[in-house]
Amino acid sequence: MTAVLVKYRQAFLTGLQSNLIYRWNFLARGVFSILRLGVSIILWTAAYAGIAKIGGFGLDQTLTYFVTLILLQFFVGAFNEDYQISEDIRNGLINQFLLKPINYFLYRFSIFVAARLVSGALILVPLILLLPAIRGWLTFPHEAWRLVCTVPALMMAALIQFSIAYCFGLLTFWLLEIQGFVILSMAVEAVLGGQMFPLDLMPPALFHASEFLPFFYQMYFPAAILTGRLALPEVLQDLCLQFAWVVVLLLVAEILWRRGLRRHTAVGG
Amino acid sequence: MNYYRIWLAGARYSLVRTMMFRGDFFIWSLVELFWMAVNLLLIAVIYGHTDSVAGWNEYQMVLLIGTGMLVQRFVTGFFWSNLFELSRNVRTGAFDFYLAQPGNPLFMVSTRKLDPDGLVNSVIAIGIVLYAVHRLGLHPSFFDVALYSVMILAGLVIHYSILVLTMASTFWLTSANGVEGTYFTLVDFSRLPREAFRGLASVLFVWILPVVVMSNAPARTLIHGFQPIWALWMMAVAVLWFILAVAVFNRGLRRYSSASS
Repeated sequence: MTAVLVKYRQAFLTGLQSNLIYRWNFLARGVFSILRLGVSIILWTAAYAGIAKIGGFGLDQTLTYFVTLILLQFFVGAFNEDYQISEDIRNGLINQFLLKPINYFLYRFSIFVAARLVSGALILVPLILLLPAIRGWLTFPHEAWRLVCTVPALMMAALIQFSIAYCFGLLTFWLLEIQGFVILSMAVEAVLGGQMFPLDLMPPALFHASEFLPFFYQMYFPAAILTGRLALPEVLQDLCLQFAWVVVLLLVAEILWRRGLRRHTAVGG
Repeated sequence: MNYYRIWLAGARYSLVRTMMFRGDFFIWSLVELFWMAVNLLLIAVIYGHTDSVAGWNEYQMVLLIGTGMLVQRFVTGFFWSNLFELSRNVRTGAFDFYLAQPGNPLFMVSTRKLDPDGLVNSVIAIGIVLYAVHRLGLHPSFFDVALYSVMILAGLVIHYSILVLTMASTFWLTSANGVEGTYFTLVDFSRLPREAFRGLASVLFVWILPVVVMSNAPARTLIHGFQPIWALWMMAVAVLWFILAVAVFNRGLRRYSSASS
């Protein structure tokens, strides 16, 4: 058991180092994300003019939601993991994992966790600098159960984010070029993950339909728990659905991996 | 005339290439289509809860966004991948290849390839604009439509200038990864109505940067008809930013000393 942990700890530590090299990239991304927060602030402030509440939430709550999204994106979001995996397959780097007692999913996931620690720490820098300007309207509910539920929701969100990216990366076994698919799915995730608008502002039927999709649990769900957009009974039910999606996506990842390897011809390397 | 023939050769080459990779063309067309749909969905959701944003009703907003998309599709179609490669080529030294060509470097850099997927989607963007015009019950005169078209061209010039300025920064910052984010962030702001900008944001995005005028001026022309101030403003901004972009590019060119190997 400990031997297994040591293997992936090593991958994690290497991931930490290699991601620290890209600190300026992460920081630049963070700054752009925060600049884009300006678009949301201007748009929603104008939309709220003369209206106290939209969908039952005030302007301060909606803006807090968008700030929370940025934080979550850098702590649990997948960045270019799909691309890295795709490159591993294309360059034949993946071959070495087939010969060693290392699980590729766990190896990649260890690096993903390391990368999120780095990017998460880095987004705190511009956010803290911004704090004096936004503190006036930043508002979080105080119920303790929200924090308790956020922990599993966040961990599963990270797993879902990573598994989806992992599956897209594995498509390289069949397609060679996945960039188009990845950006296509980014558009779907932007909407159904709640990055464009809080999903609860959609008509109720659509909102409930989105609850059954994995994207709901990538971003919106943990953000909605933290910012008070979901009530306890809903959160408990959605935690079960989220767990179901984790299982399904892990299974899909495993199936794609096995099927893909059968097609794999081990070029290069 | 000579430049026209060079451009035509590049265009022909790009079309042949696209026809070779039809699957790619299909996927990338779909990508742009999806992103346009995403932006329209945002409008639909917001206007599901309110009738007016900064004094603009739903279809006026669709017209504004459609106009922005139209310009952006032209940018993607004609210039995006060329200029995106500029930053990479400067870093790797492959930029030498353009300098060796007998022609204006900025022209050669900007026009090597076409992206037909962007051009295909511009038809859909035009469709969105027409739909909004129809829903608003507008009957623009021939003059208004002509002016709108000229403004779309001016918008293209402004977008192009911002893109050149962004990418030319790689002449100075050799490690600038993700500089294109600057362009996309500015484009995001251009989807908002001018009236929504207050205080510091107004100074920055309305007056200093050409972000708001480039989408608002043409959209207003269709909605309210010819407004001399907006038309003049847009043209002046297009000329000024183009001059600035060319100057900065040429400055960068002088700094360029080829890369490593």
